[in-house]
Amino acid sequence: MHEISIAEDLQKIILKISCQNDLKKITKVNLQFGEMAQIVPDIFRIAFEESSKHTIFEGAMLDMEILPVKLKCEVCHHEFFIKKSGSYSCSNCHSNNIEIIQGKEILIKSIEGE
Amino acid sequence: MEIKIMKNILDRNQNKANEVREMLKEKRVLMVNLISAPGSGKTSLLEYTIEALNNNVKIGVIEGDVTTDLDAQRLKKYNIPIVVINTEGGCHLDSHSISKVLPEFDLEKLDVLFIENVGNLICPSGFDLGESFKVAMTSTTEGDDKPVKYPLLFREAGAVILNKIDLMKYTNFNYNHFLKDLRQINPLIPLFPLSCLTNEGMDKWLEWISDKILAMS
Repeated sequence: MHEISIAEDLQKIILKISCQNDLKKITKVNLQFGEMAQIVPDIFRIAFEESSKHTIFEGAMLDMEILPVKLKCEVCHHEFFIKKSGSYSCSNCHSNNIEIIQGKEILIKSIEGE
Repeated sequence: MEIKIMKNILDRNQNKANEVREMLKEKRVLMVNLISAPGSGKTSLLEYTIEALNNNVKIGVIEGDVTTDLDAQRLKKYNIPIVVINTEGGCHLDSHSISKVLPEFDLEKLDVLFIENVGNLICPSGFDLGESFKVAMTSTTEGDDKPVKYPLLFREAGAVILNKIDLMKYTNFNYNHFLKDLRQINPLIPLFPLSCLTNEGMDKWLEWISDKILAMS
């Protein structure tokens, strides 16, 4: 359900950037979602289509790139990928001092249009 | 023509959350964002916590609910400031809704503000409200797989409460599985197994949250 609020905020960004760049029609919107952000692509697509109705991005293609969870060990600086519910300990030195460096993104990468 | 943006879509929420956090820090008010599925016992936990701390600590509550003020009604007896936010179908609170209701509290006279988020384990975890920390709550009757199914919440929270431990013997909840999964996702997070009905385990939670309130004041 949070897909709807995210689509609403996305709409505001698209319209603002289009206006600033004098774009009259948006043909494609490119997004990146981290695997931990728990966004369901099919639901997001519906929310996106609803939010685009009667705007300059109605009918635009939507590209959603899903980024896997990537961790960095604060002790040995080892970087590694894990499954969504995998172990958040360093796969090299077993430290629990871990930073999530990728996987929580809810990003707009770019828009395409004319 | 492609316009590169690379921007967090939830920037609007994040910026407001940062503002709220800064303001509460200035006023030395701890804000706790309590997140669980419906029926885990958030309101019961608040009832017990308020009753135990109300004489020494100045407490306020923001009750987030899809509709009704039933939870707030349960807390009325404590005579503390309570504001209800009805999301009218929305599945989570956001930082703008919190910022709008903060002027209804006299922050100079508060030590801690508890937010009871909308009952939901997914959506509320993605929206920073400007809280000091989130508390993830689950209960034995929901099953032992919640940390694995909702890793974002259990990774981001400052503490985990496992409620209804008095009912564990009547369920197939496996405490060791739960603990192993939780530790895999968040090895260091404080865990409070307790029962809001029998009060078993409540003392440790009260001690922990009292320390947090004290550290902020």
